[in-house]
Amino acid sequence: MLDGLLILLLFQFLGEVVIHLTGLPLPAPVVGMVLLLLALMFNLPGGERIAEAAGALIRHISLLIFPLGVGIVLQWSRYQDYALALTVAVVLGTVIALVLVTLLLKWLMPAPPERPHD
Amino acid sequence: MTELVHTPLFGLILTLASYRMAIWIYGKAHSLPVLHPFLVASIPVIVVLPLVGLSYEEYRQQTEILSFLLGPATVALAWPLYRQLRTVRQVWRPVLITTLVGAALAAGISIGLAWWLGAPEPVVGSLAPKSITTPIAVEVVKSTDGFVSLAAGAVAITGIVGALLAGPVFRLLRVRDDRVRGFALGLVAHAIGTARAFEFGEKAGAFAGLALGLTGLVTALALPWLWPWIAGWLF
Repeated sequence: MLDGLLILLLFQFLGEVVIHLTGLPLPAPVVGMVLLLLALMFNLPGGERIAEAAGALIRHISLLIFPLGVGIVLQWSRYQDYALALTVAVVLGTVIALVLVTLLLKWLMPAPPERPHD
Repeated sequence: MTELVHTPLFGLILTLASYRMAIWIYGKAHSLPVLHPFLVASIPVIVVLPLVGLSYEEYRQQTEILSFLLGPATVALAWPLYRQLRTVRQVWRPVLITTLVGAALAAGISIGLAWWLGAPEPVVGSLAPKSITTPIAVEVVKSTDGFVSLAAGAVAITGIVGALLAGPVFRLLRVRDDRVRGFALGLVAHAIGTARAFEFGEKAGAFAGLALGLTGLVTALALPWLWPWIAGWLF
């Protein structure tokens, strides 16, 4: 757990270093994620030690997020004028995207090697 | 007594207790998407803060440590992505094409609809990353000059709507391939969609996890460059 957290923080810091040196307009944790992915693909020694810390953080991601989300309700006056645009864009936008992406996949994906279980 | 509300302990205990209760309810309800912990855990916080006279800004400061952990949580996404990359090598071409086209579609459709209905630039910018996993979305929204709260909420609702409608949509389109079901769910509905995909089976879940990681990555790498151009064109 401790090793994993240390590795994750180190890679996030590496992301910060890259952003600082290059001035790229990207989020530093995302750059850290790419660097860690590359390191894992090139067999970073002790890479599997990330599993526990990574699993715990990802499993409880809602805990880290919902304190940000309550702002929608508590600062509703900021958003109420756009309620219709928000609802349509989020709900209808999601349905349209789901249908289009599913159709695209159906068209592109080769037939499975074994019979799909239904 | 009232000054006790103004210590980080208050906000953190309220947050953790609400989340604990929400996880319990979600488990009891067999992971029903409308009872997702993101929604249920928010209710006690939304009720209690005004009651004790704590502003949202102060609550955010009290729970700063949780927001900080979103950074390492984003880096951590490399782990499941790495694990799933190995399992899908045979179909890398459809996977790659769908990720690029799908990520652009998911962001483009919500940007277009919100803009068409008259939402101003920061609101549209908050919706652009709505199909990607929340830790990445709240980072990306900083580069589209959006509101973090709105982005977090839009992402959660996108996940819930996607997970709820996946069953009917797949039936209507006659999709029986678990790879298609999983990848579509993960691409459009990120982590909540991935949880739903695991109900179709292990393979659907793995493809959903892969789609979640790839879509987040592609969007995070592309949107910060494209946004100034999109915003300049629309507004």
